Amino acid sequence: MKMARETVGGLQIRQWRGGAGAPLLFLHGFEHHPGDAPFLNRLAQLFEVRAPEHPGFGESAGFDDNYDIIDVALHYRRLIESWRKGPVDVVGHCLGGMFAAELAAISPHLVRKLILVDAYGLWLDEQPLPDPFTLPPKELERAKWCDPGKAPIPEPSALEGGSEPGAIGIFRAQNLGTATKFMWPIPDRGLVRRLPYICASTLVVHGEADGLIPLAYARALAEKIPDARVSIIRNAGHLPMIEAEAEFIAAVSQFLG
Amino acid sequence: MKFHWFAEVTYPDLPADFRERYRSAWVSPPARLADPQRVGETYRMFLRLMQLADQVGFDGLTVNEHHQTVIAMTPSPNLLAASLATSTRNAAITIVGNSLALYNPPTRIAEEYAYIDCISGGRLAAGFVLGTPMDSVFAYGMPPIEVRARFEEARQLILRAWSEPEPFIFNGQYNKLRYVNIWPRPVQKRIPIWVPGGGGSVETWDLVNQHDYCYGHLSFSGLYSSKPLVDAFWQYINDRGGNMNPHRMAFTQVVCLANTEAEAEKEYYDAVRYFHRNSAPGNFGNPPGYTTIRSLKAAAAQVSQGRSKLTPEDRIRASRGEMSFWEYDEKGYIIAGPPQRVRQRLRDLITDLRIGQLIATPHVGNLREEVAAENTRLFGLQVAPYLRDLWADQPDYWTPEASQKLVAANAPAAPRERAAACAPQIPAHAK
Repeated sequence: MKMARETVGGLQIRQWRGGAGAPLLFLHGFEHHPGDAPFLNRLAQLFEVRAPEHPGFGESAGFDDNYDIIDVALHYRRLIESWRKGPVDVVGHCLGGMFAAELAAISPHLVRKLILVDAYGLWLDEQPLPDPFTLPPKELERAKWCDPGKAPIPEPSALEGGSEPGAIGIFRAQNLGTATKFMWPIPDRGLVRRLPYICASTLVVHGEADGLIPLAYARALAEKIPDARVSIIRNAGHLPMIEAEAEFIAAVSQFLG
Repeated sequence: MKFHWFAEVTYPDLPADFRERYRSAWVSPPARLADPQRVGETYRMFLRLMQLADQVGFDGLTVNEHHQTVIAMTPSPNLLAASLATSTRNAAITIVGNSLALYNPPTRIAEEYAYIDCISGGRLAAGFVLGTPMDSVFAYGMPPIEVRARFEEARQLILRAWSEPEPFIFNGQYNKLRYVNIWPRPVQKRIPIWVPGGGGSVETWDLVNQHDYCYGHLSFSGLYSSKPLVDAFWQYINDRGGNMNPHRMAFTQVVCLANTEAEAEKEYYDAVRYFHRNSAPGNFGNPPGYTTIRSLKAAAAQVSQGRSKLTPEDRIRASRGEMSFWEYDEKGYIIAGPPQRVRQRLRDLITDLRIGQLIATPHVGNLREEVAAENTRLFGLQVAPYLRDLWADQPDYWTPEASQKLVAANAPAAPRERAAACAPQIPAHAK
């Protein structure tokens, strides 16, 4: 995967691109873009992958306090249109899953198949989500990983190595600050009302041990999306594409055919 | 030089293991811990103390807004201010302030401030604040990334609501109003505006510099903790050719006055520890998005200059209540002792930090009313008058004109005569 700085509809963004085959758009989660992660390279062996960094994250510009969920969906509509490959497959993880579902509801003609991975976007009163912004680092690690002891260090990320001291803190503050627009205080911006508009055949992938988003959320997503089923990945938490890469790739490639 | 009376309205009967058991004094400590009758007594005590402060010559009575915390049970400072406005005669009502981002529409703040200014005869200093993260983004659920933009929009709306001669339309991003036309308007044509901070956000510095507002560094950790940030603020203003008048800077300082040092330790030590032990914000102090990246970088640069005499260990020990009484004093958290000592220490603080509005804090934690009242009297009669010479050559545009005149005319005569009589001695205390 190669990083490139590009302009999408006037916004300067970073994007990782690679591979050949059917077009696949990957949308990252609330903490950070995974950069040149192994799982993206595996996907790039099967697909033509584009993995943009969301506006307001890392070094992608174009975010201000007015920027709302509808603006995100329209931004990705424009990105797919400028790709000129017709409808694409969309894989959205975590916050990127919320964005992917909104995109699929608003622009059904641009999304061939949809995969939502441990996705935010719903709220179930009977199973309240933990507040990811206040979890102390160790508790966050425990919530994210099925086995924190085996988590990769450092986690694949868009932060370039050799950055100046304090850069990690700034990078994280930038990303999480932007994420608060969509996830604070409760990560529900009305997606539940729009899920029935999704036309794409959908796979809801969920790490069985996700401590940030319980499995019930995957089932609730699949219930509201007209054509959806759930695929549970064992021995994985919130990031199954990292913690159980082989199973994740298998599930994705099988579904996308 | 102006002296304002202020204290956090703290719940006085927390269990001894509160800190260990509940982890945060903000946002999440269960409200069932507080007896509403006791809260009512506490409110009445604070009103009495501030009424006393008005009688003994304080320039201002200061109230603030916090939510869901044991250390400041003042969700609407305007309520307290309204009580004070009708039960005091002279002092300014300095509200520091209302959290502008939280009210929809913010014209409610314009209306309430106008009410207080009307009923007090023009004694209001109007504070505009972002609110702590614990208040604005946790208790009130505002996405951190929106707070500053909402604050700025509300500020503009409030100022226009006070001054536009005719009803007007306001089409903001967050507030859409077809008919803005508040009744009443304030008495003062130009209400002094205070924008207290404490986190050192450069956006706030730009705002106060651009509009010549009174800034405030409101902390409870004193000179050494605050000096790097306050110095950086003045440097920032100076570099931009801003107004260096000390009266545009407010600063909080806990004072513990008694006839002797031994008496001060005996009367205040437990209350000081109670306050520090029970004020930690837990995991709610630093949410992402609340501080801009620009300010984070500026803060990192200030820290790297390393001018604070306070070590991280000092801060931890202070917050755990592990310092001795005189260590709290030595490290700047409190200024304690007989009036003569307190005067000298305050003179050093005021000149060192270039403060024209000292927000003295004569009540802290679970201090008994009698002690706080004596503290207030000693401060008003035996400390403030001896420090009035400071910055006397500089005009104060940030304390309401009406209260400045009333305090000058009606404050007890005796201490002022005494101050005059003692004036020749003052240089002996001064550096």
